[in-house]
Amino acid sequence: MKPEYNVIGKSLPRTGSVDRLRGAPVFAADIQLENPLILKALRSAHDHAEVVAIDVSKALAIEGVVRIFTAADIPGKNLLGIINKDQPLLATDKVRSRSDAVALVAAETESAAHEALAAISVTYNPLPSVTDPFEALKTDAPKIHPKGNLLFSRKIRQGDAEAAFAGCASVIEKTYRTSMIEHNYLEPDAGAGFVDTDGTLVIYASTQNPHYDHKEVVTLLGLGDNQVRIIQAATGGGFGSKLDLNVQGFIGLALFHLKRPVRHVYTREEAYLATAKRHPLTLTVKTGADADGRLKAIKAHIVCDTGAYGSYGIAVASRSAVHVTGPYEIEHVDIESYCVYTNKPFCGAMRGFGAPQVAFAHESQIDLHARDLGMDPLDIRLKNCLRVGSKTGTGQVLTASVGIGECLEAVKPYYREALESGVSAPTHPFRRRGIGLGAMWYGIGNTGVQNPSTAGIEMDPEGHITLFTGCADIGQGSTTVLAQIAAETLGVQPAEIRMVVGDTKYTTNAGATSASRQTYISGNAVKDACQKLGDVLMTEAINRLHSPKDSLVFQDGHVVIKAGPENRPEDRIDFPCLAKRIHAKGVPLFWQGYFDPETIPLDPETGAGSPYATYAFACHLALLEVDTLTGQVTLEKLVAAHDVGQAIHPENVIGQICGGAAMGIGFALMEEFEPQKTVSMKDYHIPTCADVPTVIPIIVESAEPSGPYGAKGVGEPALIPTAPAIINAIARALGERIYHLPANLERVLAASISSGHFGPQEVTHG
Amino acid sequence: MDPKTVHIEFTLNGSPRSLEIPGAASALWVIRNLIGLKGAKEGCGIGECGACTIEVDGKAVNSCLMLAAQLDGADVLTVEGLASEDGLHPLQSSFLEHHGVQCGFCTPGLLMSTHALLKENPHPDHAQVSKAIAGNLCRCTGYRQIFASIEDAVKHNSGEAAQ
Amino acid sequence: MMNTGYVRPRTLEDALAFLAENSGKTRIVAGGTDVMVDLRAGTLKTDYLLDVSRLQALRGIEIIGNDLSVGAAATLSEIYNSAILEAHAPALQKSAVNFASKQIRNVATIGGNVAHCSPCGDTLPALAIHEARAVLSSPAGERQVPIEAIASGPYMCALPQNEIITRFILKPATVAFADFQKIGRRKELAVARMSMAYMADKDAEGRICFFRFALGACTPTPQRNHRIEAMLTGQIPDAARIWEAGRVLAEDTIAVTGRRASAVYKESAIQGLFMRMVYPLV
Repeated sequence: MKPEYNVIGKSLPRTGSVDRLRGAPVFAADIQLENPLILKALRSAHDHAEVVAIDVSKALAIEGVVRIFTAADIPGKNLLGIINKDQPLLATDKVRSRSDAVALVAAETESAAHEALAAISVTYNPLPSVTDPFEALKTDAPKIHPKGNLLFSRKIRQGDAEAAFAGCASVIEKTYRTSMIEHNYLEPDAGAGFVDTDGTLVIYASTQNPHYDHKEVVTLLGLGDNQVRIIQAATGGGFGSKLDLNVQGFIGLALFHLKRPVRHVYTREEAYLATAKRHPLTLTVKTGADADGRLKAIKAHIVCDTGAYGSYGIAVASRSAVHVTGPYEIEHVDIESYCVYTNKPFCGAMRGFGAPQVAFAHESQIDLHARDLGMDPLDIRLKNCLRVGSKTGTGQVLTASVGIGECLEAVKPYYREALESGVSAPTHPFRRRGIGLGAMWYGIGNTGVQNPSTAGIEMDPEGHITLFTGCADIGQGSTTVLAQIAAETLGVQPAEIRMVVGDTKYTTNAGATSASRQTYISGNAVKDACQKLGDVLMTEAINRLHSPKDSLVFQDGHVVIKAGPENRPEDRIDFPCLAKRIHAKGVPLFWQGYFDPETIPLDPETGAGSPYATYAFACHLALLEVDTLTGQVTLEKLVAAHDVGQAIHPENVIGQICGGAAMGIGFALMEEFEPQKTVSMKDYHIPTCADVPTVIPIIVESAEPSGPYGAKGVGEPALIPTAPAIINAIARALGERIYHLPANLERVLAASISSGHFGPQEVTHG
Repeated sequence: MDPKTVHIEFTLNGSPRSLEIPGAASALWVIRNLIGLKGAKEGCGIGECGACTIEVDGKAVNSCLMLAAQLDGADVLTVEGLASEDGLHPLQSSFLEHHGVQCGFCTPGLLMSTHALLKENPHPDHAQVSKAIAGNLCRCTGYRQIFASIEDAVKHNSGEAAQ
Repeated sequence: MMNTGYVRPRTLEDALAFLAENSGKTRIVAGGTDVMVDLRAGTLKTDYLLDVSRLQALRGIEIIGNDLSVGAAATLSEIYNSAILEAHAPALQKSAVNFASKQIRNVATIGGNVAHCSPCGDTLPALAIHEARAVLSSPAGERQVPIEAIASGPYMCALPQNEIITRFILKPATVAFADFQKIGRRKELAVARMSMAYMADKDAEGRICFFRFALGACTPTPQRNHRIEAMLTGQIPDAARIWEAGRVLAEDTIAVTGRRASAVYKESAIQGLFMRMVYPLV
């Protein structure tokens, strides 16, 4: 039976929404500052070049230009990166892509700053460049970093894949390609800052990880921890790109030298040029299934193009290797994944860390097997899907909360209904309908590495509760969810808890808002802190209520003797009363919580390990229509079933599912970032409301024992199955499959032509 | 008169305004930087995202693509003009209740597009709503909860949503 | 931004006088939706912006005698909502339906769409099938030019700098079949990868007795295609015939643009979109 909760599972109004609805100045570009200087970065003019000289004299002479910084002005360590440090804030000896910043202008006005950018003279010595990762791996390729162009590789080997293929009835080998993708959060990166009266550099930033920003800025400037304070401003979406340092370092550098308020706001064009992208992947996948459709073996070769810098590239390569099996039991695995430097804009985290790219492959493969073996695509997934007790490709045995089967079953009625309505029957002279499935699994948190979260909870002697969390809410609603978890644990209403969020002066590290980890990991840290405080309150209440601890519960800001038939005042005591007494005894009312998911790092040779403590699962169904004459695709319906463990806030979950699905539609059909061609929002199309069909979200709750109230995560899973479902539906509509994302007009029309659907013969038979 | 600087007079959120502005300044720049209202956002600067949408003489426009000089004589409404001292406008309440806000950067523009629509058509159907907000991009919500917010506001709209 | 002036004359005469005096350093602006983009990008530098959006002489959509007159400052929303256009130039009305976004339709003008000379201007194919002429005013008086003559190439306006487009004169047509269609990369807010407009009528025997067609966004300037108009006129429309006309259209277009990488899609899609658009005739 499902436990009954007080506030878990309730969709409260999201914290911060009222300010945003009113248009209050909460974003970094809006924050009021006294006469701030405007910062602008000069970007590289080459893909790859030595920086011979930078002459700023003409630019400095422009009225209103206050200072121009180059790498020489950086007092600390000019090297950034969350996993591997390879990216200078300002170029030193050379530039490795056109995203690289060469100089930073501080000026009184925007126009002076612009003029200065044009007046800085940089002498480059162009170097040969390489933009294709396969070329970059060749021995004679231009060397982008001193250690070479191969940043990282991950191997996962179990059983004997090659031998297993020999016994398979169906063996399929295909190569899949995905494109570079821009996050296209609506708020271009922005930050602002000032120097506080005590000399602290205070930086407001649009960020997914204020505590990481803090560490980087401190190191960059060679300062002490308490000399820099990062405050997360309202953050207008991130989707992974605001995990890297964008403007924070520039603002810190200017504050350090100038001691004047500054603001740095990227234009959309600069946000496109200078921030991380989704890694384009090229992967060759070979899978084998027996005559019953049971998957037996997989061999995969994955190349992730990380562009000029690592950012989260290592995580993407590692996660894509783990996830390329799909949510299926496969005994024999032989997977290798490579992360390669090229002279392109750097790629980093983007919603899914490689999982959306590999899902395109594993979901295409399983449909190909179904066709090969004459099986139904849903049946073959049900036959192979992970269950409690299953062993994953890394040898991890799943012990609980494996909801992929439930997700597939949840989608089944819609799937059967569509099939029975004759979805693929040719009913129109030049339109064909198709239905497709996409399934996925997603490990919550970072891959086989520690990624703890902390939180603090405080009760003042009057009984008021404050929750301190470093967890950046970037619109997904984590602040609301963490307040609910705290409220549930302490028996109060979320509105009674004061939230202090994302301010390095007051909060401790909650890690990144990424990897769908905050509900699970920070949720647990919050719960841990609240339980510690709760324990103190309970212990004090024992003395007052003369009743053993296991008879007591929290209720409406009181400790209450549970299950008493009559509601007697002497059976309850309120928090202020307890807090005063605890405080008087000198017992702390501030408690820290901590949680780090239990993982086992992957073995470097075999990949064996338990990279994640829990996994989320999902299945999407896409119903669509292809215009065989033009390649236009019209989505009719998406059904999206997600195992989230427990929905703390169902409407937040639905918001993630529908937002993820929309992003998945873009990934499937229209989005492609082409360096130097994609300049402004005219050149990059994300879905409008007219591109998103009715989405039917289905929340599956296969409770995770280690999760806070059973919760896992949903942020990234929401996006991952959408594109595969769409691609499989197009394949079903046309009888011809697309192996290169996006399935844009050109590729769909080409598939229509090669499948024989383009032309008058179809019309005459219509 | 030096036309490089232009004198304009208009009504902003019900109050008269009189300003000297640079001739080629956009309405968005003037509203954000000279007037200091930060509700309208610059998401792209070229009319592709709708985050800067304001209402000019009852019509939704991208303020980044409008010359501020063209506000002269107009009745201008920004998101700051929606809520009253008594609280949120019904449309805003509906967005709050139906979780139409995630990151909130697109929210003011969406509110203004919808507000203008409801003035023109107090009871639009789904297709008409879609047509009116297709120029307001949202990367967070997938639009479902935005439609739910608007459709609920329409259901309860006896005319006040357009006031 | 600081070096550009703004003037808004009260009358067309004042506007023409200002233009005559400041020819070569003035850019005419109406809705501003293209001008503002160019100003921001730094690709447009001009001393003055001359705002014609409120000039009475440039407004209104009306039937005058045998002509349909569309004011150059008519906004796309006005075109979208115009009952006159729906009746007499339905393809033009339809071209406004998916034009950019509502925010842009509310201010963007048909005059601006034509004068900007973008090959993918949505109103152009529809204007072309109505044999639209632009009425140009200058201090010397009025003259008319076919709209195809306004652009000398992509984004290159062939008009002298002292003239203002005041309105467009279209041949109105009440036809049984008319449409405008475009292909974009998404359902709304999409630049036309390709666009086309047609209108047609059939006689009592079901033969096509009237056919006008123009293609947009594929060639440097939008064009009518007289060859397929002639091919289809007098014919009983069937799928094979339309398909063949679409092939000829594609062939003619590729002959103009050359066989570049992007032509691979265009060649097929022109034929496909033509089929889809004209299919109601079958």
